[in-house]
Amino acid sequence: MSHSDKFDVIVIGAGHNGLAAAATLAKRGKKVCVLERTNAIGGMAQSRDNDGTSVPYIAHLLHNLNPTVVKELGLSSAIKLKELPTIALDPDGRHIEIAGNKAQYTDGSAHPDAAIYEEIRARIIKFGQLLEPMAARTAPDLSEGASFAGLPELMPLAKLGLKMKLMGKKEMREFMRIALSNVYDLILDDMEDGVLAGSLAADSVWGMWTGPRSPGTVLSLMYRYCTGGQSSLPIGGMGAISHAIADVAKNNGAQIRTNSAAEKLVVEDDQVTGVVLKDGTTIETKAVMSSAGAFQSMMIGGHENFDVEAVRRLRNVRSKGTTAKVNIVLKDVPEIAGLSDSQMASRLLIAPSAYYIEQAFNAIKYGEMPPAPVIEAVIPSLSDTSIAASGKHVLSAVVQYIPYYLEGGWNDKARNKLTKIVVDTLSKYAPDLRDKIDYTETLSPADIEQETGAPGGHWHHCEFSTDQMLAVRPVNLLARYAFGIKGFYLCGASAHPGGDVSGLAGRNSALQLIKDGAAS
Amino acid sequence: MRKPAKKTEKRFTPQKTQTTPFHPRTNQFNLMQNWDDWAGYLAANVYESFEKEYFAIRNQSTLLDISPMCKYRIKGPDARKVLDRVVIRNVKKIRTGRVGYTLWCDEEGMTIDDGTIFRFGKQDFMLLCAEHMYSWLQDAAWGYDVEVIDESHNICGLALQGPTSYSVIKEAGFKGVETMKPFDLREVEPGLWLSRTGYTGDLGYEFLTENKNALKLWDRLWKAGRQNWGLIPIGLEALELVRLETGFIAPGVDFQAAHAVSRVGRGRTPFELGFGKLVDFNKGHFNGRRALLEHQKNGKRYNLVKLDIEDKYPADSSYVYVGKEKHIGFVTSAAWSPTTKRNIALAELEAPYGDTIRDGIWVEVYVDKEGKWYRINAKATVVDGSFFSNPRTRQTPPGPF
Amino acid sequence: MGKHDKYDAIVAGAGHNGLTTACYLAKAGLKTLVIEKNDMIGGAAISRELYEGWTYSNCSYVCSLLRQEVIRDLELPRFGLQVVPYQGSVSFHEDGGYFSSYDDHHAFRREVARFSEKDVDAYDRYSQLVMRQCRFIRPFLLRTAPDPTTLRPRDIGELIFLAKRIHDLGQKEVGEMVRFWTMSVGDFLDEHFETPIIKAAMAGSGIIGTGLGVYSPGTAYVLLHHYMGDVDGSIGAWGFARGAMGAITKALGAAFKEAGGEITMGSGVNEFLIKNGKVSGVALDNGDEYHAPIIASNMDVKRTVLKHIGREKLPADYVRSVERFKIRGSSGKLNIALDSLPKFPALPNDNLMFSGDMSCSSSLQNLEMAYDDWKDGRFSKKPFFDMLIPSRIDPTLAPPGKHMMSVFTQYCPYDLNVDGVRSPDNWNEATKKAFADSVYDRLEIVCPDIRDRVLHAEVRTPLDIENEVGLTEGNIFQGELTFDQLLFNRPVPGYAQYNTPIDGLFIVGSSTHPGGGVMAAPGANAAREILRRIGKGKSMPDFNPKIAA
Repeated sequence: MSHSDKFDVIVIGAGHNGLAAAATLAKRGKKVCVLERTNAIGGMAQSRDNDGTSVPYIAHLLHNLNPTVVKELGLSSAIKLKELPTIALDPDGRHIEIAGNKAQYTDGSAHPDAAIYEEIRARIIKFGQLLEPMAARTAPDLSEGASFAGLPELMPLAKLGLKMKLMGKKEMREFMRIALSNVYDLILDDMEDGVLAGSLAADSVWGMWTGPRSPGTVLSLMYRYCTGGQSSLPIGGMGAISHAIADVAKNNGAQIRTNSAAEKLVVEDDQVTGVVLKDGTTIETKAVMSSAGAFQSMMIGGHENFDVEAVRRLRNVRSKGTTAKVNIVLKDVPEIAGLSDSQMASRLLIAPSAYYIEQAFNAIKYGEMPPAPVIEAVIPSLSDTSIAASGKHVLSAVVQYIPYYLEGGWNDKARNKLTKIVVDTLSKYAPDLRDKIDYTETLSPADIEQETGAPGGHWHHCEFSTDQMLAVRPVNLLARYAFGIKGFYLCGASAHPGGDVSGLAGRNSALQLIKDGAAS
Repeated sequence: MRKPAKKTEKRFTPQKTQTTPFHPRTNQFNLMQNWDDWAGYLAANVYESFEKEYFAIRNQSTLLDISPMCKYRIKGPDARKVLDRVVIRNVKKIRTGRVGYTLWCDEEGMTIDDGTIFRFGKQDFMLLCAEHMYSWLQDAAWGYDVEVIDESHNICGLALQGPTSYSVIKEAGFKGVETMKPFDLREVEPGLWLSRTGYTGDLGYEFLTENKNALKLWDRLWKAGRQNWGLIPIGLEALELVRLETGFIAPGVDFQAAHAVSRVGRGRTPFELGFGKLVDFNKGHFNGRRALLEHQKNGKRYNLVKLDIEDKYPADSSYVYVGKEKHIGFVTSAAWSPTTKRNIALAELEAPYGDTIRDGIWVEVYVDKEGKWYRINAKATVVDGSFFSNPRTRQTPPGPF
Repeated sequence: MGKHDKYDAIVAGAGHNGLTTACYLAKAGLKTLVIEKNDMIGGAAISRELYEGWTYSNCSYVCSLLRQEVIRDLELPRFGLQVVPYQGSVSFHEDGGYFSSYDDHHAFRREVARFSEKDVDAYDRYSQLVMRQCRFIRPFLLRTAPDPTTLRPRDIGELIFLAKRIHDLGQKEVGEMVRFWTMSVGDFLDEHFETPIIKAAMAGSGIIGTGLGVYSPGTAYVLLHHYMGDVDGSIGAWGFARGAMGAITKALGAAFKEAGGEITMGSGVNEFLIKNGKVSGVALDNGDEYHAPIIASNMDVKRTVLKHIGREKLPADYVRSVERFKIRGSSGKLNIALDSLPKFPALPNDNLMFSGDMSCSSSLQNLEMAYDDWKDGRFSKKPFFDMLIPSRIDPTLAPPGKHMMSVFTQYCPYDLNVDGVRSPDNWNEATKKAFADSVYDRLEIVCPDIRDRVLHAEVRTPLDIENEVGLTEGNIFQGELTFDQLLFNRPVPGYAQYNTPIDGLFIVGSSTHPGGGVMAAPGANAAREILRRIGKGKSMPDFNPKIAA
C-alpha cells in the first residue's frame, strides 16, 4: 500500500457529471482527483476513433446542457454547438421539419397542426423553465418544516409558488392539471395522432421505462425541455463536451487519472478518509464523490455503512435500461426520399405516432424487443466537417425500448437481431441504406452497463419517474447528495435532478459538498 | 421460493391456530382451558389458578412453554458482523456460551424490538424475540457470508423458573449446572441447550431443543420437580405480573415496536426506554447509529419509568400528571405486586419528567367498588432498578431454593 | 305534478351522491326535488330483480367506502341499511393452486408462508405503509379541496391544514408518501413481495375501475382508494349491503322523503336552464320544467356540461378542461343467477373464502397484458375478474339453495375495436357474447361447471352502464383516479369545490373530490358547499377529522 498526496475530494467516474463536479470544486480551490475506471474520460458522452472515423459512442446529441453549468464553468468559448432541426419521418413520405417550436412539412408546406403544436410545446418549455431552478439546486429538505431553520429550504418552493401565481390563474391551473398527467392524453386532446404528435411524445420517454400513456411523462418532457428543448450537435463530437469540462477541471489544478478503478472507501468512525483502488493503492482524501449509480456507489462505500432500510431502498432503485445504441458506419450517405442534403444532416426521428411509441413500449414489459422501435438518428459528419476526414460517415442511432432484461439474455444472436431490426426500420425510410453499410456496432443496454458502469445501462442511471424524483431521488432520505457516510457524496445521474448531459447533478452535488463543509 | 400449491398438495387450513410440541402436556394440565393466541400458537393464559401460578414462580419452580418465541439462527463467517449491524450493543462482548439482552432500531433510531442473543459458537448465534424479524434479518444479512434461518417452528423452548429451579435441574440429572452464572449458556446434553436466563427476575433457566425432544424434556423435569420442589406449569397471566415486578418491558405494551405500528411518531429510542447504556457507538456502524447520535445530542423526548404508586389500586390505563393537573404521560403496565407489597407500574412520561423532574407526580386511578366508581389521585414515586430483586437470582452456585 | 313547480333546490340524478346531497339540503329546510331519469332511484347503487326470485347488485356490488359519518348522521340504519362485513378472499392460480387471505393476522401469515417465508414479513411492512397512507388521507375525504390559485382565507386555511398534515409526517414519511402516490402498483408490490400470485392477488385493487395497467404510475393510489374505507372502524374491510347495494340508496331515499323531499322518476333532465350565467331550473325529457335557484347535478361532469348545457353558455376554457377530463370505461360485469353453487375443486369444502372476493390472475405480467388488450380497444383475452357470491352471506338475494354471482371484469373497452375501427357502436349481441365467453373461460379455471349452473346472466359492457346509469363511457368512478384528476384538480382546476362557472349549478357526483366508489363523500361535501353559499353552512355537521384519522 503506497501513500500518495492527500486530496480534498476524490471524484469517482469521469463521466460528464463527475467532471462537472470536479471542475466546480477545482474552480473553488479544492484539491481534486478524478478516478476513471476505463482508459477514456466521458462515460456516455465520448467520441471514439474507429480507424480514423469518429463515432459518437453512446450519446450523440445535446438536449439539456444546463446554461448555469456552462456559465459557471466558463464553457461557452470552449464548446461549439450546432443546433439541429428535427425531421420527424413519416412512413408515407410526408416528413415534418421541426425547428424550435415551428413545424412544417419538409417541402415547406404548412402542417395543419402546426399552431397547436407550437402552443403545446411552448407551454411545456415555459413550465419546464419554471421548474428549472428546482433542478439547479439540491432537492428541498422539509425536515425542519415551517420553522426558522427550515426557511432557507422552503424559500425555493415559495419562489416557485410565487412564480406560478404570477403566471395567472389560468396558466397555474393548466400547470396543476397537466403536471402529473401523461403526454399521450396531453397531446391527443388537441392534435390528431401522427408524426407530429409522435415527435413530441418521443421526447418524453427517451431512456425511460415508460410509454407515453404512463402518468408522469409530461413531467419528464418538462425536464427535457427545461432549457429550451433544442437538440444540438457538439462540434468535434460528444467527446468534445467531456473534454471541455475536463479541461476546466485540469486548468484549475484537478488531476484526472484514467485506468484507475475505485474499489472501496476507507471509512473511519463513519467518516470517509480515503479510497482504495483496485490495484490496492490507497489515496487519502477528505471527501469522495461518486458518479456511479446509486447502488454501485453504495457498494463502493461499503453496504455495511448503510442502514438496512437504505440498502433495501438502494437495491430497489429501478434502473432497467431501455435504450440501445447502434452505430452504422457508412461508405456513403444514404438517401431518404423527400429530404434535401441539408435536411439529411438533421436529427432524424422515427416515431410516427404516439400510438406507435406506446406499442413499442409494450414489448419491453415482457422482456422483448419491439419489431418497430423508436429511433433517433443523426449523421454528425454532415454537420461537422472536423470529423469527416476519413470520408466515411456514421449514422448514429439511439434505439428506444430495447430491454435490459431481454428474455433469453443478451448475446451475439440477440445483438444481431437488434441490428437487423434497426436496419430494417431505417431502411423503410432510406431504402439504399443496406448497400452503404460498411459495418455496424451495436450496444445493448447490457453492453452499455458493461462499458460505462451505468446501472442497467440506464440513460438516467435511475428511472426518471415521479417516485424517483426530487426529494426521493435516487431514494428517500438520501436525496441531498450526501450519501450516508460523512464525506461521501453522490454526483451522477442517479442523483437529483437526473440524467441527460446537463452537468447539473455533478455541479449541484459539488456545491452541496462545499456548503456542508465536507472538504474543509 | 416455493412453487404455488398444487391440487394434490395436502389440504392445509391456515385458519387453525397452531400448537407447540408441548401441547400434549400443556393441554392436559390446562384445567381452565384458558388459551391465548401467542404468535399464532395456542398458549395457556392460566392453567388452574393465577395466584397459585404466580406464587409458584416466587416460591417453588414453574414450567413455561416459550416455544412461540421467534427464534432466528444466524450462522456463518459473518454472523457476528450481521448481528452487530442489527443490534445496539457490542456483540463481540457476548462470548461463546453467553446470552446477551439487547435492543435493535430502525434507521430513525426507533426500537424495533428487544430480545436475547444466544451465542452457541464463534460463528453461530440465535436471536430470540417477540416480533417477527425474518425478513428484517434477511435484509440486514444481504451482502454478507451468513445464513439466517427461521427456527421458530423447529426449535421449542421451555422456561424453568423459580427459587427451586436449580434443584429441579439437579434432580433431573443434568450435570455441571452449578457453575453456570446468570446469562451462561451450555449444551448440557447433546442437542439440549440450557441458559441461565428468564423473564421472571427470579432464579431460572431456559431450555432450547428440537421439537422432537420436547415431551421427553418436559417429562424428565416434571418427574424431578413435581414431588419435592413444587413444580407446576404456569400461564401468561402469572408471567405478566412477574415480568412487571422485575421491570422488564414488553413490546406492544410498554413501547411500540417500530415495524408494527401504522401511526407516525410512536417509535421510541433505546435512550427513552432506559437502555441508553447498551448503545455502543464505538463498535462501528449499526442500524440507526446516525439517528441515535442525533437523538443523543438532542435529548430524550420521553422517559419510560417505573412508578411506585401509593394506595392499593392498580393504575391500569391511567393518565399521569404533575403538579396541579399537567398531563405528562400515561401508565403502560400496572399491577399490585404481592411479593414486594407495592403498587407498581411502568409509565411513559414526557421528558424531562421522570428524569430530572421527579417530584409532584401523581396518577389518576379509576376504581370500581361494587358498581360505584371512584377517582383516586395517587402519588407516584419514580423507582430506579427493579421492583423485585433477590440475591438468589444471581447466586452461583445457586442455592437449593 | 305541476309543470312549472318551484323549489329551493333540485338534484338531477338519484345516485347515492345525489341523494346524499338532497338529504342534507332537505334537512337544512330547503324544499328539494330529486329528478331521476330511470324508473327507480339508486344510480349505480341499485338492487334489481332481473330474474324472478334473484336480487342483483348489477353495478356496484360491495360496500366499504360509504362514509360512516354520513351513515350515522343520516341515520341510514333506521331506514333499513345493514352493512355486513365479509372476510376472506382468494386468488386462484391457473394450475389449480390458490392464495387466500384471512382476517386473522396469524392465519394470514401462515397462508403466505405456504409460498414464501420472506413474503410473510413483507406483508406486514406493506400493510403498515398502506395503513399509514389511509390514515393520512381519510381526514380529507369529508373536506372540500382547497384551490391553490386563490387567496381566499378558506382556501389558504385548507392549504395550511394540508401542509400541516404533511409536515407532521416528517421527511421520511413524506418521501414514502410521494413515492406511494405516484408509483405503479406493480413496482410497489415488486419492492415488497417475491411470489407472483401474491402480487397478482394484491394488484387487483390497483386497477379496478381504472384505465391503467398494473405497471402504470399512479395505480398504487388506486389501490389505496380501495383500502381507505372501513366497516365499523375496521379500515380496509369490505361488506355487503343486505338486500344488495340498492339498500343504500333506498335508505337514502327514505331519509330524504322523511326530511320532506320529493322525488320524480321516469324522465331525466334534458337541459339545465340558464339565464345570464345563472341557473334557474331544469327542463325534463318529457317537457316538464322545474325551477330552483340551486341545481345539483349528480351526473358526471362531462355529461352535465357537454350534454345538458349548451357550451356557448360556458367559458371556453372550462368546456375544454371538461372535455379533457378523462372518464374511460374499462370495466364490464356479469351478473349471474345460479341454480346451485358451482364446485371449486381447488378449495377446501365450505371454506370461509367462499364469501369473499375471488380472482384468478397468476402474475402481474398477465394483468399487464390484459391492460395492453384494452389499450388497443379490445376486451382482455385473459381478463382480471373480481367475483363474489354475496348470497353465501345475504340470504335475501336468491331462493334457498340458489345463488347470486357478481363478476366484475377488467378490462373491457367502451369504444370496442373491431377491424381497426374503435367505436361503442361495435357493441352488439355477438361482441357481447364474445366478451362474456372470455369471462366464462376464466371462471372455468376456478369453477369448471360454471356454465352449467347459469340460469340467467346479465352481461354489462361499459356501453350498457353508460346507457342505463348514465355514467360517461361506463366509468365506475365518474372519472379516472389518476393524480392529475384528484383533489383540487377534480374535476377541473379552479372548479374543484363542487361549483361550476354557472351561478347556482353544482356538481355533486363522483367526478368531484374525493372521487368514486359508493362513498357519499362528494355528495356530503357538495351539500356543505351549497349550504354555505346560502348562509346555512351551520346546518351541516362538522365531521371531525380526528375520528377519521
